[in-house]
Formats: sequence, structure tokens, C-alpha cells
Amino acid sequence: MKLTQQLHRVNLPKLCIVLLLTTVVISCQKELHFDKVPEKDYNLIIKFLPIATYDSVPLVLGKPTKNTFKEEYTPTAFKFYVHDFILSNTDSGHVFKLAQDKYYLVNFADSASTEIKLSVQPYVYNRLFFTIGVDSAKNVSGAQTDALDPANGMFWNWNTGYIMAKLEGTSPKSSQAGKFEYHIGGFAGADNVVKQVECIFPFQNNLDLKPGGESRMFVNCDANDWFYNTWDIKIADYPVVTSPGTLAKQVAENYWKMFTIDSVSNIQ
Amino acid sequence: MAVRWTIRICLLLFLGCLLVNACKKSGDGNSGPQLLDFPIPAGFPAPQYSFTGNPLTKQGFELGRKLFYDGRLSKDGNFPCASCHQQFAAFATFDHPLSHGFNNQFTLRNAPGLFNMAWNKEFHWDGGINNIEVQPLAPLTAPNEMAEDITNVINKLKADEVYQRMFTAAFGDETINSQRMLFAITQFVNSMVSANSKYDKVKQGKAAFTQTEQNGYTLFQSKCATCHTEPLFTDNSFRNNGIPVDPFINDYGRMRITNKKEDSLKFKVPSLRNVAITLPYGHDGRFSSITSVLDHYSSGIQNGPTLDPLLKNKIPLTNFDKFYLLEFLKTLTDSSFISDKRFAQPE
Ligand code: HEC
Ligand code: HEC
Repeated sequence: MKLTQQLHRVNLPKLCIVLLLTTVVISCQKELHFDKVPEKDYNLIIKFLPIATYDSVPLVLGKPTKNTFKEEYTPTAFKFYVHDFILSNTDSGHVFKLAQDKYYLVNFADSASTEIKLSVQPYVYNRLFFTIGVDSAKNVSGAQTDALDPANGMFWNWNTGYIMAKLEGTSPKSSQAGKFEYHIGGFAGADNVVKQVECIFPFQNNLDLKPGGESRMFVNCDANDWFYNTWDIKIADYPVVTSPGTLAKQVAENYWKMFTIDSVSNIQ
Repeated sequence: MAVRWTIRICLLLFLGCLLVNACKKSGDGNSGPQLLDFPIPAGFPAPQYSFTGNPLTKQGFELGRKLFYDGRLSKDGNFPCASCHQQFAAFATFDHPLSHGFNNQFTLRNAPGLFNMAWNKEFHWDGGINNIEVQPLAPLTAPNEMAEDITNVINKLKADEVYQRMFTAAFGDETINSQRMLFAITQFVNSMVSANSKYDKVKQGKAAFTQTEQNGYTLFQSKCATCHTEPLFTDNSFRNNGIPVDPFINDYGRMRITNKKEDSLKFKVPSLRNVAITLPYGHDGRFSSITSVLDHYSSGIQNGPTLDPLLKNKIPLTNFDKFYLLEFLKTLTDSSFISDKRFAQPE
């Protein structure tokens, strides 16, 4: 009784119009665009640069060069996975870790892939850490996308696992039809080649990120490091390393040290 | 009067808006992928694959089925998954020691039947593949199987209108990538569950073994079940059951994956469900009949450093034993599985 009486007092046409308006608004919501100032979603660019011969000469795919053992070779592919970037300041103990870890495939045949754009908390940093390789979990958890898409050719199809770093090309020193191939991977037990690397900054050249500013960091990747120290990997002796194991681990232990920060520029 | 009309018009517009809203969310007006149940057969353990991250849906399954039967996944169009995995042979290659692949080449090994894959931890005879989602990459790219390149396959699928529609139906938007293709194939292959043989019916009290079958079952439990463990008829381990290496193929099995000497000549213990229809047998298909496998166990086993300790003294079997075992093994054939229309080539 009471309810119907109350209902009678409601102004039905008005109620309808209100209802209509709300639904119109809800219906249109997704189509509405408020022109926002496009916000840049990064303030740090880490640029990887391929280097040959003792940190000085740029490495160019398709162009002959020499390794420590004076072995001539022509690189045709040079790529690796990196992820988990961390910046820190060893004086203050401040550490910045990206909230969302993402994998990047740095491929020197594709220059866009060699620039990694990150959004970093403004601060003065003097150390860069990142992980080279693909963590074990991603090697066992099935089909992945983006950088880890097996279509990128960095995946072993009959012996599941990611090729974490690849250096290949031709060399007159190779007994394998003049080709050399280092496809390095392995994520389990002693074969694990995943490694966090630490880079210090060039003298008096810290990463000084100011709010609203942007910095660029150039990281040299020395292909020569793959061949020596701690292990001697001569193309003549080992032209092909394409499965996880002792030899792959040795090549990895060599290349873990291939990164040096060449310079940092801070644009305010 | 005017009031009534206002109400009517308003209501109409209101409904119209609701309709627009409803359509926005569901694209073509259907209600998105339909979840499917994955029933666990009575007595089976929990599966290894859980479908978290790749929910089993009707549309995903149908897409996987189409992919499984589509020759375009191979380089020359002739080698769909189904060319080597035939339903009437419980998805093994019927009567071929090795299967044919691209360019008149043979596969390295005998194609096993495909069923109860969701309970497998590792795939292939050497266990080289650690997750079923990435298994299809092996045949897709092997030069002696489908001989394709993943990017090529994805491009072929992207160019096909039917696939565009089916990927959208299965995954909610039109993105076609390797992950979605692999998810769909996984949904289809993992749905192949075989648990309706006479043996299963006996276990459920719905049928009875004959006396010979019962004799065979008793023998099986005492001599074979440690490795071919019920109810899946494999314990998923890798073992050397004394098959000498073929000097032309030089396949050392598990050692190829682990590089460990102690894994030399070890192969995955195959399930014996549907064994009567998955001939020939062994990792390279060298045994043409179950009887010849039984002869191997009773008199052929080759000793060696990695031979399974259970087989050090072979498995002595009389001719009667062999007959009983054979009769029992035949009760593992699931004829409803091989005639299940859901797994057949789509129209
Ligand atoms: C040219 C023949 C051929 C084609 C085509 C083929 N397979 Fe196979 N399949 C095999 C062989 C041979 C094996 C065993 C491989 C091994 O153990 O090394 C196998 C093994 C498997 C296994 C593992 C079974 C187990 O018990 O470990 C699965 C799953 C499978 N195939 C699914 C597929 C799918 C899905 C496709 C299509 C994308 C496919 N196969 C295409 C021949 C083929
Ligand atoms: C020590 C473990 C072990 C025992 C015990 C054992 N098997 Fe096996 N069985 C295997 C392995 C491992 C294979 C695969 C070997 C290969 O192909 O290299 C196999 C293969 C088979 C096959 C071939 C299946 C196929 O699809 O290719 C049959 C049939 C078979 N066993 C039956 C039996 C029977 C019957 C018994 C008991 C008399 C038995 N096995 C006992 C480990 C065992």
C-alpha cells in the first residue's frame, strides 16, 4: 500500500529523463576523448652499442673484424635478452627497481631494439644492474609473447629453452663450412647461464635524473669478450656451440663481462 | 497524454541505449568464448596441465582442432599434425615405424599416440619438451616434419578470414600470434582424454574380464606395472628397457637432452593405453607387434650400464603368459575415443 502511494508521488516523466540521461552518458563514455597532453612514459634511454676489438672499434654486421686470437670473422647476428633493470646509488644506498619487469631482445640488426626506454625515479645513480638471459620460470612455463615470442628465433624447439644470447657469422678459421655459431642458453642447474651484471659509470659521469628531465646512457657490448677471459674460445677450436652445457657456460662466463657504460648524458 | 508520450519515448530511448551498450561489449552480439569443463576420469591423478592462463573454451578447442588438421601449417601444405597423428590409430602413425615428413624424409622416431597428454610432464621420447604449449614448435619447424617457419605460419593464419574470425571468437580480439596458436592447439590436444576402455569399465564395475584377460592383468601387475603404472600405464619416467641402439640412427634418447652418460639409451615409458592400435612399437618402431615386444622382454633384453635394474634378469614369460598379457593389453583399447567426432577432422 505504502509503496504504491510513494510511487505515485514520483514524477515519472522526470525520472525517465534522468534515467535516459544517465544511460546516454554511460553509453557514450568510451567514445569520449578528452585531449590529454601526451605524457612521455620514459625518462631514461639505455642504448646498447656493438663494439669489436678492445672496446674501441664499432662492430658492424657484415663487416670483417678480428678477435683477440687474431682470428678474422664477419658477424652476421648479435643479439641477447636483457631484463630486470635496477639503478642504485652506492653512497646513499638508494635502489630503484622497475615495478614491472619486462624482457627485451637487443638485436643489433634492428636498431629500434637496441634502445631501451625506461621510466625511472629521478635521482642521482652510480650503478646499473640488469640480467642477461631468460629466467628459468619463463623457460618452463609454455608459450610466451612479445620479446619472448618463439617466432623471434631465440628458442630451441626440440629441447625447450631460450637461446639467451647469439653471436654468429662466418670465419675462414671455422671448419664448419666457414660458419661459426654461438647460440648460448641453459637455465637448469650447472648449465644455467642467466646472470645479473653490474655496470659502474664512467668517472664523474653519473646518471643524474631530474624531475622532468631525460637521460641517455650508452652501453658498449664488446663482441671480443665472447672469445676470451676466462676461457679461450677460438673459432678454430669451437666453431659451433648450440646447446646448453659446459662449453655454453664458458662462453657465457666470457660474455657476462662484455658491457661497459661508455657515457651518460643528462638533459634537463 | 503528453506525459504518457514522454514516458514512452524516454523508455524507448532508454532501451535503445541499453542495447547499444550491450552490443559494444560483445562485438558480434555473442557472449564471448564459452568455458568448457575438463573432467578428470575416475581414478586419474590431478593433471599436469591446469588450463590456468589458457582457459579451455569451446572456441579455443575448435580453433585448435582446425589448426591440427590444417596442412597450411606445413611448408608444402601436405603435413598437418594429423598426417602423422591419425585418429583411428589413437593419433599415432598407423603401421609406420617412422612417419613421413617434408620432402620425402622420415622422422627420427616413431610417432606416439596422443591421448591423456594433460597428464604428461615432459614430451617426446627423450622428454626434451617441458611444456605442451611449446611442443608444436618442434614438428612445425623440423626440416623433416612440417619444415615451416613460425613467422610464416602466423602470416598465413593472419591472411585467412576464417582464422581471423576464429581467433577473435576464441580470444576476444583479432590478434593472431604464436602464443594464441599454441594455446589453441594445446586446448585441442589436451582435450584428447582416453579413459573408456574395457579395462576402465571393469574398474568401474560395469564389465568383467574374461579368465584369460584376468590372468593377463595379474601378470601385468606383477611384471610390468612398476614402469607402466596404472591408471595412465606409464610412470612418466625415462628408462632403458634393453633395446640395443640402432647403429644407423644412433639415438641415445634422454642423453641428447641432459648430456649425461647415465641417461644414455633411456626413453620415456610409453603409456600402454590403446596399445593394440598404435603399432609398430618402440621409440623407433622396430617391433611390428606386441608379441615381438613381449619376446624382447623375455629373451631379447640387452644388458648395459644404464639398463633398468628391474630388467637385469629379463622378464621370463611362458608362451601362455604372453598370450594372457596380449589379451589383457587388448582391453586397453578405447574405441569410443577413436570414433569421438569431437576429435575428427572438422567439416
Ligand atoms: C611428420 C610427422 C609429424 C607431424 C607432422 C607432427 N608430429 Fe607430433 N610427433 C611425431 C613424432 C615422430 C613424435 C615423437 C617425437 C620424438 O619423440 O622425438 C611426435 C610427438 C608428438 C607429441 C608428444 C607425444 C608424447 O607422448 O610425448 C605431441 C603432443 C605431438 N607430437 C603433437 C603434434 C602436433 C600438435 C602436431 C602439429 C603441430 C604434430 N605433432 C605434428 C610426428 C609428427
Ligand atoms: C623397467 C621398466 C619397464 C618394465 C618393467 C616394462 N616396460 Fe615396457 N617399456 C618400457 C620402456 C622404457 C619402453 C620404451 C622403450 C623404447 O622404445 O626405447 C617400453 C615399451 C613398451 C612397449 C611398446 C609401446 C609403444 O607404444 O611403443 C610395450 C608394448 C611394452 N613396453 C609392454 C610391456 C609389458 C607387457 C611389460 C611387462 C611384461 C613391460 N612393458 C615392462 C619400460 C618398461
